[in-house]
Amino acid sequence: MATMTLAERPSTLDTTGIAYLAVEVGDLDRAVDFYSRVLGLELIGRDMLPFCGTHAALATVSGQWVVLTPNPARADLSETGVHQGYRVSVAARAAITRTLLAESIEIRTYTEDRPAEAKDNFYFFDLDGNRLQLVTAKDAASQTAISGIDHAAVQTADMMWAEAFYTEELGLPVDHRVGWNTADYVRARKWAAGEEDMAPGTRRLDQRYTVMVNRKTVPRANMQLYVRAGSSVLGVYLANKHFQEPPEEQAAGAPRIALAVANRGRLDSAARLLASHRRSFEGPVIHPQSVPLVEASLYFKDSGGNFLELCVARKGAS
Amino acid sequence: MAGVQSLSHSGICVHDLKEAEDFYCGILGAHPHAGVNFITEDTIKGRSVHKSVVLEDYLIALALVGDFMPMPPDEQLWGAHGFRHAFTVARNRFDATLGVLRQRGIRFEGPIDHPQAGPFGQSIYLKDPSGNFLEILWRRDEAVAYDAAPVPDAD
Repeated sequence: MATMTLAERPSTLDTTGIAYLAVEVGDLDRAVDFYSRVLGLELIGRDMLPFCGTHAALATVSGQWVVLTPNPARADLSETGVHQGYRVSVAARAAITRTLLAESIEIRTYTEDRPAEAKDNFYFFDLDGNRLQLVTAKDAASQTAISGIDHAAVQTADMMWAEAFYTEELGLPVDHRVGWNTADYVRARKWAAGEEDMAPGTRRLDQRYTVMVNRKTVPRANMQLYVRAGSSVLGVYLANKHFQEPPEEQAAGAPRIALAVANRGRLDSAARLLASHRRSFEGPVIHPQSVPLVEASLYFKDSGGNFLELCVARKGAS
Repeated sequence: MAGVQSLSHSGICVHDLKEAEDFYCGILGAHPHAGVNFITEDTIKGRSVHKSVVLEDYLIALALVGDFMPMPPDEQLWGAHGFRHAFTVARNRFDATLGVLRQRGIRFEGPIDHPQAGPFGQSIYLKDPSGNFLEILWRRDEAVAYDAAPVPDAD
């Protein structure tokens, strides 16, 4: 790639928000049944996207997709901060609640630290241990089903790298930080005392390694960073256990967060942006007409090995 | 005599690592050095939560405290709350430094003139975002090169 001047280098991804989430499940048919019957998503087809393996694509009212792909060796993320947040109307949440209870699926009422989610303590796990959150939104159109994807959270082994990647390199504005402030640690003690029920990945008990002062267990807020990506929010949680990242040379795979951009020119700009920071990526890939949902994509990973995609939706696909 | 040689680093307790780093690096001119407990390995080891910044050859560890510290009143800019860090700028940089602080909305008291016979010329007094007292001064003897404390005999 030719050398760029600073003026030529784009400063941000210019995404409009989450286009789709690729979610790993155990049994594909069982998961399709759950997401369509319980959450009201519409199955629109199978094997419609590259780099998702065998999969089923389901649409929300907003035109965003949830892509379910089976992986029997998927990691158990139920105790981490990894989760998906969906927008629903109050009526739709009530309808989904009735179905969940009829299916004997427990609804969790723990809370998170991000102020925007403080009143949306409505969580449950799908049949494969993926944590879902329902966020009420005034503009949610459906009275019975999930209306759209609000946010998605991943985990990383290095929060400073994540902060540099998402904010300085991709140019996404910070929505909220957790773990940088004393107030977060004061609040963590309320969780340790049983006074607050907090979502997985938000708190931890650190065993202090030092014997210089004293050896003790310390409740702490787990570091979290939220950035705004168009109309969506991406959350990054500090992993509390070592986890296997994908091979360095693999640019595309699942699970994955796909962010929408308006046109192919935005993909070219994003490729220049990533190249300017010496990030690896694949594409922009112009998809053949046999790929019905997206016309072009750029595949890459964040600093923690989480798969990301920028894509241009095919006209009429949303 | 124990024979310590010089200051190695300082730990400054703060209430917010982001605003502290923005202040010490973005305003005073230090450089980010490292962060602890921002990686998985540190959480497993239960290390402290802090960031470190380097100002010239001096390292400051910005330590996030788990409890709010009682701090001096907001309007009090001058004092010693346990300790005070004083930073030096060259005489010909002093006015420019004050200009930057004014431009960035950092409140300070001074400049205060020191006695002619002393080594300090003028000082201003301010606080970091957590309320720790700081001082910025220029020295009349800035051209004088000082040696480190003598190295004690190994015996």
